[in-house]
Amino acid sequence: MAPPPPPPKVTAPDYKNIPHAHRIPSSHREVQRVFSGLSRQSLLNLVQFWLHKTRRAFCRPYLSGDKSDADGDNGAYVPAHSCEEVLEFYAERNKSGHGSKRELLHRILEGDWRHGITMFQLATAEIEYFLLHPHTLQWTAMRLTKTPRDRANFQDMEFTDESQHLPQFHAPTFLANLAKEITPIVKAHYLLLRPKSYPMTILRVYIHDSPYSNEASLAPKKKSSDNATKALFLIWPDGTDFVYPSLLTSLGRHADEGSRKLKEMVIEAIPKAFSRPMGRYQLLPTKFSSKLLSTVLAYRGPGKSNNAGGGFNIFVETSLNQNSLDIIASLGREALDKNKSTKATTRAPGPGRKRKLEDPEVHKRTKRWNTAQSRFGNSAKPDDGKGINRLEVRMDDPFPPVPNSSPRQNQETSGLDRAQAAKRGRKGRPSLLDRTAEEQEQIESSDEDVWIPDVRISFHGSHVFAGLRQLVEIGIVDGEKMPGWMTGEAGVTIGVVKDGRIRRGEVPGF
Amino acid sequence: MATLEALDNEIAELRAQISSLQSHRANLSHILLSTPQLSQRVDQRPVTNESQRRKATKVVKKITNHNCEQTYRSCAGITAYKVQDPDPYAVDSGNILGIRIDVSIQGKFVDAYHVLFNRPDPSNNNVLQIHKHTIPPCIPLELLRNKFMPVAHKEGFEGVEQDLVRFGKFLRRELVSWHLRSVAVDQLRKEAGLPDAKTREKQEMEKYPVGKVLNEWADEESDRDEEEEDWIEDEERNGRQDPLKITDIDANLPVTQISVTWSNGNTAIMKITKDGRVEKGVVRSRNGARVSELGEKVVGRIEGLIERLTA
Repeated sequence: MAPPPPPPKVTAPDYKNIPHAHRIPSSHREVQRVFSGLSRQSLLNLVQFWLHKTRRAFCRPYLSGDKSDADGDNGAYVPAHSCEEVLEFYAERNKSGHGSKRELLHRILEGDWRHGITMFQLATAEIEYFLLHPHTLQWTAMRLTKTPRDRANFQDMEFTDESQHLPQFHAPTFLANLAKEITPIVKAHYLLLRPKSYPMTILRVYIHDSPYSNEASLAPKKKSSDNATKALFLIWPDGTDFVYPSLLTSLGRHADEGSRKLKEMVIEAIPKAFSRPMGRYQLLPTKFSSKLLSTVLAYRGPGKSNNAGGGFNIFVETSLNQNSLDIIASLGREALDKNKSTKATTRAPGPGRKRKLEDPEVHKRTKRWNTAQSRFGNSAKPDDGKGINRLEVRMDDPFPPVPNSSPRQNQETSGLDRAQAAKRGRKGRPSLLDRTAEEQEQIESSDEDVWIPDVRISFHGSHVFAGLRQLVEIGIVDGEKMPGWMTGEAGVTIGVVKDGRIRRGEVPGF
Repeated sequence: MATLEALDNEIAELRAQISSLQSHRANLSHILLSTPQLSQRVDQRPVTNESQRRKATKVVKKITNHNCEQTYRSCAGITAYKVQDPDPYAVDSGNILGIRIDVSIQGKFVDAYHVLFNRPDPSNNNVLQIHKHTIPPCIPLELLRNKFMPVAHKEGFEGVEQDLVRFGKFLRRELVSWHLRSVAVDQLRKEAGLPDAKTREKQEMEKYPVGKVLNEWADEESDRDEEEEDWIEDEERNGRQDPLKITDIDANLPVTQISVTWSNGNTAIMKITKDGRVEKGVVRSRNGARVSELGEKVVGRIEGLIERLTA
């Protein structure tokens, strides 16, 4: 076993971040959770990454020189003599394909890093972990906007001079500012990383709820019962003003109140870290969250698809955008294909009489399919990797008038509704969909004859809009009468429906 | 097994041949149908079957319209069209005005962007509002809208007078200048003898199998290992031996900032204006000292940057 670091004599609270090189024991629950979820290849990649010359300072393996006499020779693995030796071993494993993932994992945790995993290693491993398992975190898209007072100045400015309409991101400055906000309250380890697979920057904040930033305080206390994950991820996609914090806990665990507060505090510090004198930022919700990173990048990302959801995505990428000088492409290959497919279907049914019987059904099906195509465009395909797992809406439209109902009855029911609402108000955490006092007043002051119950609809599934599209295609949902928000064109996962449309204006970035 | 593979290959070959022939056929038929005075001839010459003639006239007319439209589109840069929103609850019964902005650079068509407007105000049919668009967020669409379009308030519309033409012009300028800047950066990379984007990506992958850590500095001086110092010295020695060269040129997505890295550890960060001029820049050596003689050289057009730096 590694020699425990000598307990520091003075444990005064300090104002430092947790450095990369501090170690936490390999048996720590977080280490076990993250490392056991990695694949063999990613373990090998990580070792390569850690032992690169520039990073050895904070990823130092256990070498034979570190052995102290008190240790004895109780390790399962013989310590290597140099970093090169360790690197060579794993490179050989990578080439030959020998050794299972379990074996490598054991060697990393019990052998080469038996004296503990550094914060840097844990951070890179956890980022690798969530890139491997994209479903484990729930991403909420938020937007950094200038505070309204500044916006007034902003409008007056000649916009051509204003080359920076997006917040400027400079890693060292940002981190220093963020740490200034956070460290007095809680110690944290920060890692900023640009992953190879996505155009974005990831910040991992490991929240260490302690006044000390020394190594000894990182080891878990025996009686500590908090099992919430301590890491918070924040993502900045390139060339946008969006931020995606991972608000919810990973792996379905419920965060206790304390750690939730700490995470909220970190998120609150983000706009402050971006702000400069005369340029204050605030973080606004954009009513979009999804478990899949690729979905968030499609709806709140750097590309063209942010404000062209649902059927409007034909404007993003199809024959509509073809080179107008390329005559064939601009004519549309689809037209060619359509000709072919209709020919095929008319020819397929075979003998005349049978065909006549089947025709209406076939016709209906193609009609439904065409309706779905016109409403959803090329979006909402089951395997497009742009699924949202939850869509919640509140209806603020009056209830359709029921025949044979007297106004009296209506009033009774609305009274009942209010009672129910009051009851609901007492229990549970307030929902984002709850009506504000202002909205409630507006509803009550409006025409007496209409009844607006508090109806909320929520859809769940692995890909909500693909499911709705399928329902249209098989004829359960009428594709022509279906409101637009059911196709995903509003681009929100939580919203209020008024006049059959998701109310906009509340969503920044229109 | 070999025969199976051979058959598969043959099938694939045939498929490729079919598709190439199909596109060839489409091309030929298009050329034939676009022949000038074709519609006149179809109309005037006697034919045996009248319905066939009507069909032919229809096809010719369609192609002529299409040609006209595409020609206009490729010359005008901004074109407008009408769309019907399929949403039954859409504002203004789904009437949408779309504008399409074509971006072409160096004689090549690059991309098209769309902005769709609806008329939210039933009392005033002239007020337009952006409904959907495919403009990437690095283009300041919101600022342009604030400048040229009235903004919705609780009661009606307020703000500036609507000027759709200037809105379109300025938006197109933003889009084209963005594309021009990214092309210019690619050109810089080529001039500096750096590999193109694809091979660069591959190299990056090998160098950083996980990703590139941005705060990869030790938090405290004492944390700095001797080994690391050695490594830096090593690098410096190598740098002195090799002729000085540019090892990396990078730009952010909106191309408002370019960074250049040299083999001796110098780095430069430059600010780029929208019309592609290096406005200001700072060059620093590895230990953070400012290299002012290079810093003065960077200012100027983006195209001549490499020349200015290497001169």
